[in-house]
Amino acid sequence: MPSILLRSLRDQQTSLLWWFLGIASLMLITVLLYPSIGAAPEMEALFEDMPPAFQVFVGEIGDITSPEGYLNSQLFALMIPLLFMFYCIGQGSGAIAGEEAAGTMDLLLANPITRARVVLEKFGAMLAGGTVLGFATVFGLVVGALIVDMDITMSRLSEATLVSLLIGYLFGGLALLLGCWTGRRSLSIGVSVGVGVATYLLNGFAVIISWLEPYRFLSPFHYATSNDPLSNGLDLTDTLVLVVATAVLLVGAVRTFDRRDVQK
Amino acid sequence: MPDPVLQTHDLSKSYGPDRGIMNVSLRVEAAEIFGFLGPNGAGKTTAIRVLLDLIRPTTGHAEVFGLETVANSVEIRQRTGYLPGEMSLYENMTGLELLQYFASLRESVDWSLVDQMAQRLSCDLSRRIGALSQGNKRKVGLIQAFMHRPELLILDEPTAGLDPLIQHEFLSLISEASQSGQTVFLSSHNLTEVERICDRVGMIRGGRLIAVEHIDDLKKRAVRKLEIQFAGPVPTEPFQNLTGIHDLMIEGDRLTCTLSGSADAIVKQASSYEVVDLVSQQPSLEEIFMALYSDAEVPNRA
Repeated sequence: MPSILLRSLRDQQTSLLWWFLGIASLMLITVLLYPSIGAAPEMEALFEDMPPAFQVFVGEIGDITSPEGYLNSQLFALMIPLLFMFYCIGQGSGAIAGEEAAGTMDLLLANPITRARVVLEKFGAMLAGGTVLGFATVFGLVVGALIVDMDITMSRLSEATLVSLLIGYLFGGLALLLGCWTGRRSLSIGVSVGVGVATYLLNGFAVIISWLEPYRFLSPFHYATSNDPLSNGLDLTDTLVLVVATAVLLVGAVRTFDRRDVQK
Repeated sequence: MPDPVLQTHDLSKSYGPDRGIMNVSLRVEAAEIFGFLGPNGAGKTTAIRVLLDLIRPTTGHAEVFGLETVANSVEIRQRTGYLPGEMSLYENMTGLELLQYFASLRESVDWSLVDQMAQRLSCDLSRRIGALSQGNKRKVGLIQAFMHRPELLILDEPTAGLDPLIQHEFLSLISEASQSGQTVFLSSHNLTEVERICDRVGMIRGGRLIAVEHIDDLKKRAVRKLEIQFAGPVPTEPFQNLTGIHDLMIEGDRLTCTLSGSADAIVKQASSYEVVDLVSQQPSLEEIFMALYSDAEVPNRA
């Protein structure tokens, strides 16, 4: 029985409930505003008048009047991945480093369990929690789309959400690795967020700054956005890159924690 | 000689200069209560955490149940119960939830023992741990260590900070465990409690194991402060070369000294004069250690 995973989820019960309600509401409201904002031609003209650098911060350069354009620019370009990253980095950094800081790791490891099991089950809890947030996202979007009769399929919404979730998991894996390596929660959060911001900007600016273009492959966001999953569905290669990168981080996390001393 | 339950071979763990443990070699036999005695910072917790594979040795190695600690840690922990020193529990759980959580990670737990211990220690397992006092949290910790009836109990300063009645109960539980065949390895900086229940004592200071003694031998060697108040001034010479007397100081009608071994010689000598008062003081740990250091022979029977 994966007791550690279940315990971890149980500890988050209330928190996940609020996350669910918050995310579903945010998705719903954003979609409900589509007829007033997205479909209004004035918005498009306004957007195109902005300098390209500014457009990167606001969202994908493109048509924000179509359902895909609107959802990508308002949600999938930044907001949704950001929320997932926020959750996953929080979970990843706390999983090992947090428990050590709380002083409970000694007692937990007094039980006949491997360190690998602790890392893997806590990662599993993050996967499960993230899935709850994923469902909340799709739920809010689908309900909203039905209400305003937006021309978008549940399949496409799910695929785009999944890709954003994979981004979250990747940065969660990074935070977990850093936590396993250093045992310091704030450092893990700080570095993960830093890498997140840097790679986000790399991906965004590579579109308009030509000498950055060759380095675009280094950014996880490239694999989430370049093939526009909301419009075109999942790209198998891109998805695989994200999954493999996360798996590598997880293996690194397990091995690092296995090797070092547990802090008191 | 039957195999020891626990054995360390030249075990060292360094955290930089003058910290950690150095070349600790000891063995603990089955069903004995072994006390690991030393001042704060001596390295007791370090040694214990190496045994549980929470930290890895720098050099040397350790075996529990004949198994090397690093490679066989999971199996060792299956058969061991651990009570950490500065212990933190999960504040949001009740005592019972914590025990159930750990029970789910173990093979078998004796719940009737849990109930018995909770009753004896007056520990309410249905209360949220965050709401418990330090002493009560420690009780939950002790139950957690005992509940699966492990062959070996490793207890790091089990009674620190507890009130005397509960201390007494803890020590009784530990004695009973040993009587039923369980081995106990406990660390302490409190000589009185160590004296009460331990069979053998290993003394550690500055990371080194200074001596290992049977408790009876320790008591015999133990140094006490002696103070004799006489009715009038007494001469120095008669008291000077008595056996077991050190640091003799006579100021007029008051004699102070440290005494090791039998008090007979000095008492017989003092009775030649009119004695008003005689006070003997339990030695502090420091004083015992000093006496051990200053002795010509420093036994290291492990």
